[in-house]
Amino acid sequence: MVKRTIDALQADPATAPVGAYAALIVLLALVHGSSRLGSRFAITGASQKIEADLRSDLYAALQTFPPRFYGAHSTGDLMARSTSDITAVRSLLGFGAISLVSTVFAFVGVLAAMLAVDPWLTLWALAPYPALLLLARRFNLKVNDRAQAAQDQLSVLSERVQEYLSGMAVVRAYTLEPRARADFGRANAEYLRLSLALARTEAGFSPLMGLIAGVGTLVVIWAGGRAVVDGRLSLGALVAFNGYLAYLTWPTVALGWTLSIVRRGLTSMTRLEEITGAAAVEAGAVATGLVVAGAVRPALTEGGLREGRPGSDTPVPSVAVTPVVPAVDTPVPFVAVAPRPSTASTPSRAPGLRFSHLTFAYEGRAPALHDVSFEVAPGETVALVGPTGSGKSTLGLLLARLWEPPAGTVFIDGRDVKEIPLASLRAGLGFVPQEGFLFSRSIAENISLGRDDALSVRVRDAADVAGIAEEIDRFPAGFDSVVGERGLTLSGGQRQRVTLARALAGAPPILVLDDAFASVDAAKEEEVAANLRRAVSGRTVLLMTHRLRAACTADRIIVLDAGRVVESGRHEALVRRGGLYARLWRIQQLEEEIARA
Amino acid sequence: MPESAYDPEADERLGRAFDRRLAARLAEAARPHRGLIAGSMLMFPVIAVAELAQPWLLKIAIDDHILKSEWLGLTWVAGLYVTVLVVLYVLRTVEAYLMQLTGQRVIHDLREAIFDHLLRLEARFYDRNPVGRLMTRVLHDVEAVSEAFTSGLFAVVADVITLVGVVAVMLWIDWRLALVTFSIIPILLLVAVYFRLNARDAYREVRRRLARLNAFFQESLQGMRVIQLFVRERYERERFGRLNADYRRALFGSTVWEASLYAAVEALGSIALALLLWYGSGRIVAESLTFGALVAFIQYTNRFFLPIRDLGAKYTVMQWAMASSERIFGLLDRTPEIVSPSAPSPRPARPAPAALEFDSVWFAYEGDQWVLSDCSFSVMPGERVAIVGATGEGKTTCARLLNRSYDVRRGRVLVDGVDVREWDLTSLRRRIGIIVQDSVLFAGTIEENLRLGTDGAVSAADLSRALEAARAGFVAGLPKGLGELLGERGANVSHGQRQLLAIARALVYNPAVLILDEAMSSVDPESEALIRQAMAGLLAGRTSITIAHRLSTVHAADRILVLHHGRIHEEGAHADLVRRGGLYARLYELQTGAAPA
Repeated sequence: MVKRTIDALQADPATAPVGAYAALIVLLALVHGSSRLGSRFAITGASQKIEADLRSDLYAALQTFPPRFYGAHSTGDLMARSTSDITAVRSLLGFGAISLVSTVFAFVGVLAAMLAVDPWLTLWALAPYPALLLLARRFNLKVNDRAQAAQDQLSVLSERVQEYLSGMAVVRAYTLEPRARADFGRANAEYLRLSLALARTEAGFSPLMGLIAGVGTLVVIWAGGRAVVDGRLSLGALVAFNGYLAYLTWPTVALGWTLSIVRRGLTSMTRLEEITGAAAVEAGAVATGLVVAGAVRPALTEGGLREGRPGSDTPVPSVAVTPVVPAVDTPVPFVAVAPRPSTASTPSRAPGLRFSHLTFAYEGRAPALHDVSFEVAPGETVALVGPTGSGKSTLGLLLARLWEPPAGTVFIDGRDVKEIPLASLRAGLGFVPQEGFLFSRSIAENISLGRDDALSVRVRDAADVAGIAEEIDRFPAGFDSVVGERGLTLSGGQRQRVTLARALAGAPPILVLDDAFASVDAAKEEEVAANLRRAVSGRTVLLMTHRLRAACTADRIIVLDAGRVVESGRHEALVRRGGLYARLWRIQQLEEEIARA
Repeated sequence: MPESAYDPEADERLGRAFDRRLAARLAEAARPHRGLIAGSMLMFPVIAVAELAQPWLLKIAIDDHILKSEWLGLTWVAGLYVTVLVVLYVLRTVEAYLMQLTGQRVIHDLREAIFDHLLRLEARFYDRNPVGRLMTRVLHDVEAVSEAFTSGLFAVVADVITLVGVVAVMLWIDWRLALVTFSIIPILLLVAVYFRLNARDAYREVRRRLARLNAFFQESLQGMRVIQLFVRERYERERFGRLNADYRRALFGSTVWEASLYAAVEALGSIALALLLWYGSGRIVAESLTFGALVAFIQYTNRFFLPIRDLGAKYTVMQWAMASSERIFGLLDRTPEIVSPSAPSPRPARPAPAALEFDSVWFAYEGDQWVLSDCSFSVMPGERVAIVGATGEGKTTCARLLNRSYDVRRGRVLVDGVDVREWDLTSLRRRIGIIVQDSVLFAGTIEENLRLGTDGAVSAADLSRALEAARAGFVAGLPKGLGELLGERGANVSHGQRQLLAIARALVYNPAVLILDEAMSSVDPESEALIRQAMAGLLAGRTSITIAHRLSTVHAADRILVLHHGRIHEEGAHADLVRRGGLYARLYELQTGAAPA
């Protein structure tokens, strides 16, 4: 357009329709701008959508992993995958794609336009480009290398800082300040050196664009100018040429960059696939007859675990014929969604538990459980006691299949837990783990976990039984108070009671309390225990504890030591027996005496 | 802008773009580099001239040579153009490097200053500030501050000079044409500011939602067991999906603003071009303007569009920088609470064992939750004392008060009869060695770890003697012996070996008073025996306090102090105390009872 205008001006200044040309230029610019905007929105929008989908897939995949996986992968590593890796993939699909496509189009389009104006001049103008391209590429590689080196050194620096700041007590005690200073100084100086090395390369790299543009202009002036002088080319064509050439500058410089984005994106894609791929394998492993389509599950929960089948002790057969569906593809519908006829007080029938010759070892470690066999009758409360590391918690984890027990060792109502669909198995279990984990949400949400429609016990009642309701009422926003980093900080005991309420709210027929009162003070514990005894009557309860006060009212106490059952019976009998339990009981009494002193 | 996902929201606040007080502090920080800054500043006008020369040469080429068909002159102009191009490339490279050099040096110095300051801050400060947050100060906030120089100060100065130059040249070539072009500036400014402000708000929203998304993700990873146990996978996935979609929408919003800004500026550029052509051609017809001038004008116009477009981005960068520097200076302005007195009591270098005394000491970490209340005791030179008591009774606190990690609230702690607050801090800590058995080993070789806190005056023979005395013979068996590298937190030696190394380290450090804070964690029996032997050697001939969590190690003490409810409850030799049948006797029975029979 500019060419036409100028040519027209030159040809016949008086009659040139300059106004029309000017309007046309604006029009074309608007069309160009809006179509570019449109394509940019489309591509960026798509890449962001893919990013969101990838993140959702990753999240869904992570949900299928057992604790074993979380033992092997740090939270930091997994977070990195959800942040930097996904961002890298987005860059690949967004910027990388835009850039690649526009580079190709720019080259093709501009070349065509330039050739149309003047083939010879095009050849001239492009002559320096291969060299410049090579130069840009070399620079780019070097920039990448040095950026990597600087980044690595920054990690070193950050490790130093972390090490000294978290070891500050030792630093103080040993007057290590000078050493820390020197050590940090070295790492800091090295980072400065590497950053400056990067800066030197980059300093030469960025102005390269100007140089490329300049050289292009130069060639056009010189060679094109000559053509104009010789009358082979119009002045307008020369100016237009110059403009076209400018379009090539950026893609040329950016090519190397684009390629490195593509490379990084592909690497990240692989890292993400590691996780989603592993999830598929995991699902496959679990799915060997275990993961079931949603349709069957409510039936089972209602029929099998909750009420049992009248007059039948056999396991629910429906599971055996259930099609196997990988967990990733079938969102596990929540079991408790099925309306529950019974309430907290009287589940119509509690199931019995049986551990049979159970030997179990965590990967690469000595067995945590040796040939453990015992039964828990329906509605019975059994306490598991024993020193730390005796295997109490492991039993709970295996029952809930957070770790996979060997086949034929753990049974609920005579059915191997490995054959019970995971979702219904867990829905029938109220598991209160030791750590008292709360989400950064309101207390009510922490208790209900979104099961609001399905809960057979109101959140408040559950909190009442757990002995936490009154304390919650005293918080500024009551049950709506948000806990966690940006909210209320609950004490360890309060947290444990909230998690207890969470389990009670589901009114599960089996309750597993894994040292659930470790942080609750003694007086409160009595109160909660008394509440609990009333609330859980008729349910099957497995109570792991090292506080014997909580254990001594159980129907039966099983004493574990180093993974073996060493004693079992009622409190009085065990105390009389004078074995491990008696010794533990004495220790407990001493502790209480000391506390009272 | 850094897309760091982990910044807590408190770190998300933007500062004012310019704050005089902070700017003064920043100027002070940059003072050592004023030569560099002045140097870079001097280059700007030169670069501006070189840049402005390009279109000018183009004009000359067109008007004086091409249109006049003067081939020789054209070559001459082309030569000049090459010169300008090369000079400009070199200048820009140097300038970019100088800017980075300044920025990186400021970063380096600030990092050093912050780390230095952190080393001087007291333990209480570390109780209240998580290491992660402090690391953000040292590592990331300083980067933002350096941006204040490179993207802020330098860029603004460079832009202003360029703008002034462009305006001046345009006015000089043809003031009427210049004014026509300038007519677009107000609209340009409005557009740039409007879109940029919206883009910034949108971007802030993106960061907020990303932070929320990542927090949720991280929490899910930590609470995955709860999610799985309560079969909440689908519910959580839906929640995550909502946050994910929120984030995507915000991201797209920011993309829209950003892309629109660029498109709008481009459109305005085309309008300006059209205006130029329309008005300019009229003038050319009237022969009051040359072709070359028009072409040069088109190029000049481009050069003032860019700085105005990016004005908003720079404004935002400045805001980040100011917010970061506020946090940094806030940290640097914190006065260390525990420092050496200005005139410490003169300490004759006394090789003799030291005496310790607690004189009615009151201490609380928080408010009036007294850990020690009116606690008094003394330790004779060369005496071996053990402090026992239930968990949380303040045993470890005594050690922390002795080396002034914390200061007493009331009363006095005396070392060699002098209040610790009158001691020179370094001499005090040199005299009192605290061994935390669960000790931190720093990244580095074993030898470096052994020499911690000593000033190189330790011979190799001393080292091997210490290792032998500490029963750390395993070191000799390592492939590289003393030169063996220890990983992060000494992860590649066993727990027991780490404790032996800590003892060896204390032997090398050779303090007059030794405070031994026993680890609670258990080690295998073999290491335990080794550790006990090593301890005995360590304590010989020194004043020592053993803070015993396991009573099995205190028999050998000359005197045992029983700490209960913040004061000394009982004291005496082991046998006496057991005979007395008081608190100690119970504690003792508790401990020995707890040991497996």
